[in-house]
Amino acid sequence: MSMLALNDGPSRILTLPRRKSVFVVVNSSELSDEDLLVRIGAGDRTAFEAIFNRYAPRVKSYLMRLGAGAAAAEDLAQEAMISVWRRAASYDAAKAKPSTWVFVIARNAWIDRLRREKVALAYQLANPPIEESQEEAPDAAVVRRGDESRVADALAELSEEQRQVVRLSFFEDNSHSEIAARLSLPLGTVKSRLRLALTKLRAHWEQYS
Amino acid sequence: MSPRHHPSADILASYATGTLDPGFGLVVGVHVGSCAKCRAQVSAFEATSGAALNDLPQAQLASGALAQTLARLDQIRFRPVAPDTRPLLERLPLEPKRWVAPGVWVAAVNTPRSAEDRVYVLSVGKSALTARHEHSGAEFCVVLKGAYRDELGVFAAGDFAFADSDVNHQPVVEGDQDCICLFATEGRLKPHGLIGRLAFELADV
Ligand SMILES: [Zn+2]
Repeated sequence: MSMLALNDGPSRILTLPRRKSVFVVVNSSELSDEDLLVRIGAGDRTAFEAIFNRYAPRVKSYLMRLGAGAAAAEDLAQEAMISVWRRAASYDAAKAKPSTWVFVIARNAWIDRLRREKVALAYQLANPPIEESQEEAPDAAVVRRGDESRVADALAELSEEQRQVVRLSFFEDNSHSEIAARLSLPLGTVKSRLRLALTKLRAHWEQYS
Repeated sequence: MSPRHHPSADILASYATGTLDPGFGLVVGVHVGSCAKCRAQVSAFEATSGAALNDLPQAQLASGALAQTLARLDQIRFRPVAPDTRPLLERLPLEPKRWVAPGVWVAAVNTPRSAEDRVYVLSVGKSALTARHEHSGAEFCVVLKGAYRDELGVFAAGDFAFADSDVNHQPVVEGDQDCICLFATEGRLKPHGLIGRLAFELADV
């Protein structure tokens, strides 16, 4: 998908007859998220509806956990899904899983909102590196990431318990003691597991650097 | 040269999940922007978060949310925005510099100030002495320009430093350049000595 088509706006892509015919036969529910994103990148609204139905309620849930009120979370979730539509043409399945890609868009929508409301500063401000090339497009922070297979390798080194503890602490802003209660584990176990998980992940990355 | 001092894994995890307070996220973001190693680690935490997103309970959307979003797709005109390629120091919304001692200036980063957090840029010239200070809360620091040295070693451009209530240190400028750092601090610093008092009380950062 060329940048030119993106700049022209996805709705105009739909006016090209040769693109319309591509979408006719396939039932979106049978497609993987990767396939759906590729189709959205080409302007397919049916594919967008499928991705919306799958992710918008979860994105709203995540935003509420970050501290957004229900109304703000609703609005932001819609905004994030609009970004999904806008940016789908640049989605690269070799670089990120759909869930990771959508997550980063949702997180950036939250940070961006904080900035717009002048409650605080944006991460985006900090994204261009100090000494490295700054040739990136504004959306590049969303795309710029490690190779997904390396990420998978790093994750594979975590035990299921470690992953669970990490997830609970990431998403639910739980104190360690709340996590302990939830998992029926001693507090010390939760703490050491979390620390171990993080240390393992870091050790994994160090071997690549 | 890639940075040698990095944020801890739990700081990077908070950054990746969007739960770090934004002033602190800004400091971490500067480091991550110049450190391939931490960028890779942030990517791993983002992948964990993406997987966790799938496991989150689904919030109830407003009725007609999909139709509303589809309507918004039609209204929005997308136009490319040129990336802002100015150096970070020029892009930061800084309050006017205040000289607090010969060779030392401080400028608050323009954020509506919360009661406790402070975000500011501090520049210390080669021959100036910095304040020995203690911390009552967490302090994140990233070097933007130049270098300093303290008990933990030399910190140069891109290096990240974390301090909390256990730390009582006196950094000194290393090399011939002014050392410019971006700070986010939680709680009140307890500066010792003249420059510290000037910077944190008179200059009101
Ligand atoms: Zn680093």
